[in-house]
Amino acid sequence: MKKKQIMALLMTSVMAFSMAACGGSGGSSDGGDSSSGGDSGSSGKSKITFTFRDDGTDLETNALYKWVNAAYESWDKKDEVELDVAPITADEGNYFTKIALQLADPGTCPDLVCEDTFQLPNDAAAGYLTDLTDYVADYADWNDGKYYESMQKMVTMDDKVYGIPYCTDTRGLWYNKSVLEQAGVIAAGEEWQPESWQDILDACKAIKDNCPDVVPFWCNAGKASGEATSMQTYEMIYYGTGARLQDEDGKWITKSPEIEESLQFLSDIFTNGYGPSLSLVLNGQAANTSSREYLPQNKLGIDLDGIWITGSWKENGAAPWDGYEDEVGLAAMPTSEGQDPGTVTLAGGWALSIPENSDNKDLTFEFIQHMMSPDVYLQSILDQGNICTRTDTAEEEEYSAQPFFETATKFLETADFRPQNDQYSTVSTSIQAMVESVVSGTSPADAMNQYHTEVARVVGEDNTVQK
Amino acid sequence: MSDRAVKVLHYVILAIIAIAFVLPLVWLLIASLDSNANQSLKWPTEWTFSNYVDVMTNSKNLKGFGIGLIIAGVQSLVVVLVSGLAAYPLSRYNLSYKKGLMYAILFMTALPMIAVIVPVYKMFLNIGLLDSIPGVILYLSASGLPYGIWLMKNFMDAIPVELEEAAWVDGATTMQSIRKVVAPLMFPGICVVFIYTFSGSWGNFFIPYILISSAEKQPAAVLLYQFFGQHGSISYGPLAAFSVIYALPSILLYILSQNYMSKGFTMSGAAKG
Amino acid sequence: MQKSMRKKYMLDQAKKSVLLIPAMVLLLAFFIVPIILTVYYSFTNMALTGSAAQNFQFVGLDNYKMMLTDPNTLVSIKNTFIFLIGSLVGQSVLGFLIAYLMKNKAKGFRRVIGPCILAGWVMPEIVVSLCCLAFFDVSGTFNKMIGLLNIPGVDFIYGHPMLTIIIANVWHGTAFSMMNFQSALDNVSGDIEEAARVDGANRIQTLVRIIVPCIKDTIATNTMLNTLSTLGVFGLIWALTGGGPGMATNTLPIYMYNMGLKNFQLGQGTAIGMLLLLVGAVCSIIYTRVLKTDD
Repeated sequence: MKKKQIMALLMTSVMAFSMAACGGSGGSSDGGDSSSGGDSGSSGKSKITFTFRDDGTDLETNALYKWVNAAYESWDKKDEVELDVAPITADEGNYFTKIALQLADPGTCPDLVCEDTFQLPNDAAAGYLTDLTDYVADYADWNDGKYYESMQKMVTMDDKVYGIPYCTDTRGLWYNKSVLEQAGVIAAGEEWQPESWQDILDACKAIKDNCPDVVPFWCNAGKASGEATSMQTYEMIYYGTGARLQDEDGKWITKSPEIEESLQFLSDIFTNGYGPSLSLVLNGQAANTSSREYLPQNKLGIDLDGIWITGSWKENGAAPWDGYEDEVGLAAMPTSEGQDPGTVTLAGGWALSIPENSDNKDLTFEFIQHMMSPDVYLQSILDQGNICTRTDTAEEEEYSAQPFFETATKFLETADFRPQNDQYSTVSTSIQAMVESVVSGTSPADAMNQYHTEVARVVGEDNTVQK
Repeated sequence: MSDRAVKVLHYVILAIIAIAFVLPLVWLLIASLDSNANQSLKWPTEWTFSNYVDVMTNSKNLKGFGIGLIIAGVQSLVVVLVSGLAAYPLSRYNLSYKKGLMYAILFMTALPMIAVIVPVYKMFLNIGLLDSIPGVILYLSASGLPYGIWLMKNFMDAIPVELEEAAWVDGATTMQSIRKVVAPLMFPGICVVFIYTFSGSWGNFFIPYILISSAEKQPAAVLLYQFFGQHGSISYGPLAAFSVIYALPSILLYILSQNYMSKGFTMSGAAKG
Repeated sequence: MQKSMRKKYMLDQAKKSVLLIPAMVLLLAFFIVPIILTVYYSFTNMALTGSAAQNFQFVGLDNYKMMLTDPNTLVSIKNTFIFLIGSLVGQSVLGFLIAYLMKNKAKGFRRVIGPCILAGWVMPEIVVSLCCLAFFDVSGTFNKMIGLLNIPGVDFIYGHPMLTIIIANVWHGTAFSMMNFQSALDNVSGDIEEAARVDGANRIQTLVRIIVPCIKDTIATNTMLNTLSTLGVFGLIWALTGGGPGMATNTLPIYMYNMGLKNFQLGQGTAIGMLLLLVGAVCSIIYTRVLKTDD
């Protein structure tokens, strides 16, 4: 008897749970399979599914979330089209994996996706992205010089356009003025500009000696930070030696004195205790921790990061910081020994792309045009804290008057770009592994050997070269 | 050492082990009630239920729990049913291929199924089962089956066939005999299989993480992973509250079945037949 | 006559097998086929994205060659075994110790201790990760506690990551061993123990000479079951250390994920998956051998 009762209880509880769950999901499944792209829902409306990366903090403060909603609200086709905002909650490293998994599947493919321009060639080569060449032919702004040519190039592969660039960026050394003053690195009111890597190490030492509770130097260093570790950290350092990731023949340089030198610099930072503790830096939130907590709280001296971090300090940002323009400075990253050209920066950017599997391409492209229309776009680029891709937006007072934008935009003139091919994004994950190994104690030489092995696995031994 | 001293020593060692085991959970429980929780165990300056309220009033979370329960519940039922049926001929009949099949099944229980996630993804992609909860259930059921069949067969072997014979004499069919005679007798075994499967599935976040793309179809396990998967500055209070709620079904099921668990948990006995 | 008997026999066998059909269909579709596909994919250059995503090719043994020449493979295998051995020893020794000490103790006491140990087992994997993450954090409970004793703090998660994941897994898995040993010890007749004590054997001698031989089957089965479940551990490690820092906790399942999905090289990932299956298969064969005696 007792057994029966328990079984009955089990069954009813499972059923109750399932029913509760069904009830819960009922509401939102009204619109049909909400992730299945642009199928028309039961209401007969077309639907645009928009996918971007949500870093796990409050969605309401996410600049892309605000942008797409604002664009939708002001869109004249709002009544005919439904918008499905479908963020992917993941660290940067896993975002591209999840995106690739979705793009491959006609059933779950979004209609509009944010693609980092380094990942774009890879996804385009896989046939995941729509060739937008015909679309942009009729897009007046595209052909009237409203977009910077260099930005257009970032999204073009083999003369085909695969996305509309919506932001670009430059990187540099952000420093907390009061920390550097206290450490005696700069005098009050002075600006800091290191001339070589040694200058940076010297500044770190001064901070460590004089401000024991402050982290002297922060850079993304883990696999979880994904591309940020490759670009903001490794390439910013490595390009400062004058070397590049590939040689003139397009072969990947996998062993060279320059690579070892760069890794040695990183190793110096971390073995001398200038860097943040591994528990802070080897996770997906590292860049937020440094820019939103440590730097504003005077707990960090120097932060190697991109211009967009100012976006979160604004009034409506994720970590408002009143008067940040006076409290931090932006210095250019020096070359290794101050050799020409003296400073180095990399520029990247993101684009709006339409997946090949989208079933609502025309409408989505119209929506992109609306998102990129000057009025809608201006507010978004201000929120993102990034450099705009439109020439007319660049001239807006509200945009150009933003603190640091003059400097950051000037960096752009001499900026380098990442290799634009479908191998880079995989090579980049090997760079991240290499950097994480070095900061957690592996010797630069060993890390470089491993880098060679991994890159050779992906691009083939013939496509690598050792110097 | 006197027997008494030894006995006291035993009590002390056990107490220390138990405290060490339970401390991380005490943290979890207290942090979930702390308005200002951090990583370490501390007495809250302010007790609050708001962490729980936050978690439970978030419709996304509720849905995640519901979906998790559907996946785990349905999967466990499927495994119990299918493995129960399969165990019957394996236990009762003289089949020519029985020995080979039992070895194959035993062999399959040993394979780390995570190794085949890529082909499963590709397969689901081709047959349109990606992002589908029934798809996840089917796959999880299959991967839980070998162990289920193995256990069920051994539990069934323990039930004397004579008991069934009486039913056959009364004209019962095989199905009737399974339902009326075998199933009630091996109820503890069924519980073990159900609970084992349920907790395995409820705790699994990787399979749904890969096979389900839509954020709104993710079960609680994935939500929890996303919640703290990118640790750094996390709000420990709500996270702990979420974890406590998330752990509840496992705990409840365990308590509910404890009697049967210990009986069925002569694991070695069960696994050896 | 012969023929009809044979036919009848076959018919009978088929009839008796009907109930197996649902299980076989499920296993075939979602278990066997994926394994066959794993074998097939591991010989291709299939990728998640990039040009190889569109049309992948047969590349022979390339993936295996690359896997075997990559030092990380060896590191992952080594990590897998360290994690495995550490977990096995920890879980079995602790599980046995608890079961042994609990025997013949006051019922009320057992009622309190048992659930404390079981709690770690009942917790889902990710909750285990979270608890350990907080407990072993630089400013977590453990360090606060040893701080009270003036012992300097230990950075477990980044300083001793392998130890951390082993402890986490032991915390999670000990109860399983404990229960196995409890039921085995319950079956060890008190008379034998008593007899040994009368013959002048001390506690340790009784334990080694009498009790351990009596439960050796349980020890074998328990070790096997723990081996198999530990080999497949992914979520616990992934959520706790992500396989890092560097390669420190990169076990085969993590290695496979990183290569196959994060690096987009599905083909190479499945080759690692094959390696994992192979390790599982070897363990499984040993397992079947051990259990063979009386099936």
